[in-house]
Amino acid sequence: MKALKIVPERCTGCMRCELACSYMNTGAFQPSRSVIRVSAFEGHTSYSPYTCPQCDEGWCLTACPVEAISINSAGAKNVLDAACVGCKLCTIACPYGTIFYDPDQHTAFKCDLCGGAPACVDVCPRDAILYEEAETADWVGPFSADRAHGPGGALAAGVK
Amino acid sequence: MAKRHVIVGGGTSGWNAITTIREIDRGESEIVLVSAENPYSRMVLPYYLSREIGEAHVFTASETRLEALGVETRFGRRAASLNPNDNKLILDDEEEIAYDDLLIATGSSAVRPQLPGADGANVHSFWTLDQAREVTASLKPGVRVAMVGAGFISFTILNALLKRGAELTVIEIAPRILPRMVDDTGAEIVQGWLEERGVKILAGAEITSIEDASGGGKILKLKAGADIEVDLVIMATGIKTNLEWLEGSGVEVNGGVVINDHLRSSESNIYAAGDVAEGPERVGEGKAVHATEPTAMQHGRVAGANMAGVDTAYEGSLLVNIVDVLDLEIASFGNWDDEEAEVIQAVKKDRPAYRKLLFEGGRLVGAILLGRTRDIWATNDAGMLKGLIQSGCDLSEWKEHLRSNPFDIKRAYLAVGAAETLLPETLLGRPSVPERDIAVQQ
Repeated sequence: MKALKIVPERCTGCMRCELACSYMNTGAFQPSRSVIRVSAFEGHTSYSPYTCPQCDEGWCLTACPVEAISINSAGAKNVLDAACVGCKLCTIACPYGTIFYDPDQHTAFKCDLCGGAPACVDVCPRDAILYEEAETADWVGPFSADRAHGPGGALAAGVK
Repeated sequence: MAKRHVIVGGGTSGWNAITTIREIDRGESEIVLVSAENPYSRMVLPYYLSREIGEAHVFTASETRLEALGVETRFGRRAASLNPNDNKLILDDEEEIAYDDLLIATGSSAVRPQLPGADGANVHSFWTLDQAREVTASLKPGVRVAMVGAGFISFTILNALLKRGAELTVIEIAPRILPRMVDDTGAEIVQGWLEERGVKILAGAEITSIEDASGGGKILKLKAGADIEVDLVIMATGIKTNLEWLEGSGVEVNGGVVINDHLRSSESNIYAAGDVAEGPERVGEGKAVHATEPTAMQHGRVAGANMAGVDTAYEGSLLVNIVDVLDLEIASFGNWDDEEAEVIQAVKKDRPAYRKLLFEGGRLVGAILLGRTRDIWATNDAGMLKGLIQSGCDLSEWKEHLRSNPFDIKRAYLAVGAAETLLPETLLGRPSVPERDIAVQQ
């Protein structure tokens, strides 16, 4: 199964992925409707895109009380709009924070890998988002480790 | 001879146990489901009340679907008693059903305070589908509704009542609304939001009786303050676990049926799940009854796996609740009311938004989130807060930053590698399968 692989070190924070994603999902360029989100670190000198890792557990899938989440042909968990009642159980069940609620449609929405042709990958000018045969577990890896010590990095003790 | 599993209760736990057993054994065992009601999802009843969905949308497991899964049903029947010595369940019509193992998933029921008139005409509970039908039939635009109780259950149907044109008065005996879901600060913001939108709220108000008004209405008499006249009263005054039928069975009961990390009760071939079970907690070492939908689902699946012979340990349940009232999101997680915990909190000046983070050392153990639905981050952060509690990731080095802005949770989440920590975790030790894809071997 192919998965998204994010290489944050390559990301320039151009936000094209957010625009493309929202356009694919809603027909409009509105980052608030994007299911891939770029976070800025260290005074906007580094960035990390982040989206649904299509986890094995499928916390959203199993939490849904009306079976409104299925697995599509690309292997992505996918919200079936007609079945979703908008109860938001999935949004608190998902420990990744990657399933969202649309206040206009009253339904949940999430990354469905664009059915197997993810738009975020197509538009990324720096290959910071790849779609390939990969374990999803290696994700943001070393980028995280470098920022695990708080927004200002780890401060050495005893220095006045 | 095929093993016979008996499932008592057709709610979320029972249904998840059934699908999990069938996912594993593809139909090899016998399953008997005893359910007083035709299985439906309680979680979606508010949307039936608001008429956003039809009644057909609430059902989870029809007889046809259960038959296709090779499940024998006893609908409209209740468990009367249990005899673990002979491995027999006795139903209310005296039928005896022998089992190899059994799941207690009898859930909970709505309770009303014992005050004069609490059982009178036009006084309703909102817990079962039948009760939802009664309430929905009584609603019309302009109907005056007294909602007694301002807890989670009450709040799940406020939107629906207002959408159906009700004039709403909420009466809560505790000094604040949502006493078991948010703290004083949260309650104050929610109350202000509702009052600005025309909902009357009386907290700290004790009802002494409910009487009939001339002309068909109801009058609520209060210990202090003026009478309240309405057309309809809804009692959302709590629930109790359905345990009575286990009396004399010898199964250990505390606040619920006491279960271990394999969902087994004191009898090793009797399991319990959902609202009726008192099981291990995710945060801390204790056991608790977490009467929530996510816990019912997880309990059902883990119990089902063990019943099907796949040894499965449960990490414990995490209390999570989310409800929105008139587009204000209210969510709380884990030990949000832990008085021992270190607290970081902030409210926003320009809008109703509140964030509370509770720490034990570097570990997040609870949280409260409050914000407008259209502020997209309000719901985005819900999952991440849950994930940080669940993963137990060390946030020590981000704590100072969070103290200056507890709303900026996402970067901390990414930096401590919460997603990476969580990815290997599955409830049953393998990828989940959608229920609709589960079938028996022909």
